Amino acid sequence: MSNLVIILAIFGWAILTYLAFKINKTLGNVFVGVLALALPAYFFTYTPSDYTVSVMGMSLQFGFTSFASLFAMLVVVLSSFALLYSIPYMNKKDRLGWFYMNFMFSVGGMMGILMSKDLVSLFIFWEIMTWSSYLIVIYQGKKVNKVGLKYMIFSAIGAYAMLMAIVLINKWSGNVNIEQFFASFPNYSSAAKLLSSLLLLTGFGVKSALMPLHVWAPGAYTKSPMSYTAVFSGALSKMGIYGMALVAVNLYVHSNMPIMGEVIAWAGAITAVLATFWAIFQNDIRKLLAYSSIGQLGYIAVGLGIGTELSVFAGLYLAILHGLFKGVLWMVVGAIEHRTGKTDFRDISGLIKKMPFTFFVALVAIIALAGMPPLSGFVGKWMLYESMITSNHFIMVLFIFLSSTAAFLYCFHFLYGLFLGQQEDEFLKDVKEVPVLMMIPMGLISLSLIAFGTFPGLIFKPIAQAMSTLGFENVTWRMSSLTNAWGNSMFLKPANFMFMAVFVFFLIIITVVNHKKTKKVGTKDIANGGEPIRDEDNLHYSVDIYRPFYRVISPIMKYKVETFYKRISKGIEEFFQFFRRIYSGNGQTYALYVVIFLTALLILSSTIF
Amino acid sequence: MDIGRFLLTSITTTALAFVVGMFYAGFRRKITARVQNRVGPPVYQNFIDVVKLWSKKSNITHGVMQHLAPLWQIATSITTLMFIPILVDSTFFVNLTFKGDLIFLLYLMVVGSLGMALGAGEGGNPNSAIGVTRGLTQMIGFEIPWVMALVALMIQHQTTTIVGLMDVQQASGTWLMFSSPFAFLAALLAMPGMFRYSPFDIVGAPAELASGPISEFGGKYLGTLMTNGSIFAFVKLVLYVDIFMGGATNLVLLVVKTFVLYMFPVLWGLVSPRFRTEQSVRFFWGWPLFFGLLGILQAAFL
Amino acid sequence: MVNDKESRKIVDIIQDFARKSSLFVLAYGTGCGAIEIPPTMTSRYDAERFGIRGAATPRQADVLLITGYLATKSLKRVIRAYEQMQNPKYIIGFGSCTINGGMYWDSYNTINRLDMYMPVDVYINGCMPRPEAVIAGFAKLQKLIQAGKADGWERYQNNLEFYRKNQKKIIHNWVMPDYNW
Repeated sequence: MSNLVIILAIFGWAILTYLAFKINKTLGNVFVGVLALALPAYFFTYTPSDYTVSVMGMSLQFGFTSFASLFAMLVVVLSSFALLYSIPYMNKKDRLGWFYMNFMFSVGGMMGILMSKDLVSLFIFWEIMTWSSYLIVIYQGKKVNKVGLKYMIFSAIGAYAMLMAIVLINKWSGNVNIEQFFASFPNYSSAAKLLSSLLLLTGFGVKSALMPLHVWAPGAYTKSPMSYTAVFSGALSKMGIYGMALVAVNLYVHSNMPIMGEVIAWAGAITAVLATFWAIFQNDIRKLLAYSSIGQLGYIAVGLGIGTELSVFAGLYLAILHGLFKGVLWMVVGAIEHRTGKTDFRDISGLIKKMPFTFFVALVAIIALAGMPPLSGFVGKWMLYESMITSNHFIMVLFIFLSSTAAFLYCFHFLYGLFLGQQEDEFLKDVKEVPVLMMIPMGLISLSLIAFGTFPGLIFKPIAQAMSTLGFENVTWRMSSLTNAWGNSMFLKPANFMFMAVFVFFLIIITVVNHKKTKKVGTKDIANGGEPIRDEDNLHYSVDIYRPFYRVISPIMKYKVETFYKRISKGIEEFFQFFRRIYSGNGQTYALYVVIFLTALLILSSTIF
Repeated sequence: MDIGRFLLTSITTTALAFVVGMFYAGFRRKITARVQNRVGPPVYQNFIDVVKLWSKKSNITHGVMQHLAPLWQIATSITTLMFIPILVDSTFFVNLTFKGDLIFLLYLMVVGSLGMALGAGEGGNPNSAIGVTRGLTQMIGFEIPWVMALVALMIQHQTTTIVGLMDVQQASGTWLMFSSPFAFLAALLAMPGMFRYSPFDIVGAPAELASGPISEFGGKYLGTLMTNGSIFAFVKLVLYVDIFMGGATNLVLLVVKTFVLYMFPVLWGLVSPRFRTEQSVRFFWGWPLFFGLLGILQAAFL
Repeated sequence: MVNDKESRKIVDIIQDFARKSSLFVLAYGTGCGAIEIPPTMTSRYDAERFGIRGAATPRQADVLLITGYLATKSLKRVIRAYEQMQNPKYIIGFGSCTINGGMYWDSYNTINRLDMYMPVDVYINGCMPRPEAVIAGFAKLQKLIQAGKADGWERYQNNLEFYRKNQKKIIHNWVMPDYNW
């Protein structure tokens, strides 16, 4: 069966779903569910084969490389989970057909990007993806026009850069096939090398929200419905990483331009640090996660930019993992929004009492995000650090370490501000645990995060295959141990099992000793100088909790990229204002222009001729 | 590895760490008292405190996370202990020494803090949350020079394991604190922050924060936390001794070296007032950071 | 429970020894007697010799000192702090004010007899008691604990109704959570 059919089927199914929602909501939900189940079922059973379409003298090729199928796996898993999650999450909202149609279009677009073996079809699917995601960003209507505009402008800049690159590549290489482009790239002149790769990087960098191009991301991630943001930040931004990996590794590492790889890596490192700092001071959980997403993509860019075998491996591993844990975290935010209607730290506290399952999955995802040992995030962090240390990036490793240590701050803020702290009866009265259909996706992804912590080999296999497409043949991997370039190893099984064994041992002791006289008391019963707290007193401390840290880093936080862009837009505006003044609408001024022009012509002609 | 033998060595190691760490805490109280012209409690006072806390007849908890928080701490400490070589080339204290490396230890050592932070957060006491935010902020401060010191050593000796660094010192006969003095200085200045002793004790300041994160912990929970504190102090000291002072060939030497090292944060703390949070972060990002950079430069270019 | 000397086990003796040698005192000064605590703790008298040290919150503390007169307003807070402490817990009454009201015996806003409202284990006489007397009081408490006779917390549990009745006479707007150990 050909590859193109799957994409066309998704597009067709999107339109059918739209029509189905016109008829009946239940029927529409059935259509959504069918796609959510059929997509992985089809993807994990079919055999790939190449397929070529000839259009106007250009042959467009479709087929999966093993590198693309790694990302396709992430897209398929995450989108089908997010679609399942959407059904209860979007239940009470309107214009569902429109939402699901665009959702499916962007899924199809992503699959198309991963399947295309030439730049033209990649561009077409890229635009489909961009437009459908734009339509979801502005799903809430007029309130979010500004956010949508920002997203659209940056996407357009990226798209034009990419289009220009494709035209130039077609001119220099003779065709637009990606593999042939990589093959002929070493023969380019150095200016052509720089120009084509920089243009492509701009295009991909916008989607992966690298530092100077990230401005759209906090708004767009925040304003889309959360079930889509799980895909948006988890998988769609990985399309940028997919392209960046192709450019960074194929062009820079293998074509003797490592300095450009360094540039990407440094952009990633600075992105990671600054975005993490911004995430710390957010009081809206969606904003917090959006900045955290930007920061996490910075790590991935670092891994890809350094370009050693271990670092690229770490980058790809982190890319997959970020898709998984950030998917869960967005779903958690969606769950909270679904049950309480609030997303601000000011309004939420003590949800652990009513939503223990959601707390558990959030805890797992946060531990994976923070990169702490028993879970899977640590594996990626370990490989990234070791690859940086063994390749002499010792200043960059400090940036990354600063960023990951600072990440603990917002990790704690997320868990504490939402789930722990004072439990307000007034607020918790109507809150319930999420429905089962929302639990299943979150629970399954969290299980995978736990499993990869001890057996990362489960996911190393496709990554190692993907590495062969990037020119790293025969990458060795083992089921549950890691090795760096100096031959130092890390064995996960003894570490994690030891931790768990000690944990369980002391758990038994501390639970059994004095069990009968250990009482659970409410959060209003706290030691606060003897004053009994009344029910209406809110002592939850979760807004602006990092003021001291802000005082330390305020010199950095004063500068925002956004102000820079604002200045540019203001400058452009003034520039055109000047031109507008030329057309004053006064006949005498125009007459003066004519005279000046003729005089200038006269002087010029007398000097030239 | 033989499971019975492993159990024996790991329990022995933990018991050793517990006893030594408890006595160190006792010595700290004694030395503090002597400096303040007091007699001070007996050296074994901390054992009595722990026994008393465990024999409390009632305990309260605010929920699951608070119940688990001391366990995160103690599981972290003991697991870390298993990965640190207690003695040089010892055939007995092998534990899991060859199974992990320094990056792993760096990360493992903060797991307990996060668990504790969550437990303290669930208590619902605003003092706990304030203490936790201060602690995490301070952690960003001292982790940077400490990591710089480790990175300097790692790139200089092309190894990321503690055993590798100890072998380097065995082969050259020089302690790393003399061959990489700047890295040692950076790590040493980060140490009081790691111990949270004065002047970096704003996290659990008893008078202003009602002891901060642990303000809702009593009875067996506080007892576990005190036990963990002594084990973890020993872990950190042995880690420093292994990395910078060539490790120890027998237990007496180990105790002497760790005790001398322990005197640095204790005595510094005795004569210091308390830093505010941002002051302590600025302190760590001042001279310690500078020494760390010098250490890295030395490692990279000399 | 452990009052019967014959039936005490070795475990109880060890535990009582630990309880006796490690007294965490809640830093809660109610009246003028609180000024005697700093000299007791610092270098001149050094109560830490006997394992007596301060604790920041009721959750960690063993001993509650009622240092002198107890205003009706602070009675509520003291009761709350006492109820938040973990068993076994002890109360030491400071000075004559806690015994019979002392110089405030006819004041409109202090209570006269502390043991009507809370179970006192040891009284320290004087107005106010000097640090030597305070340490003597602690020594007396330690003897009682070692003998298993410092059972104020049990008396409070068993006679809760009596204490509650008296407390409610003084505290009119009673909004306290229940004590249910």
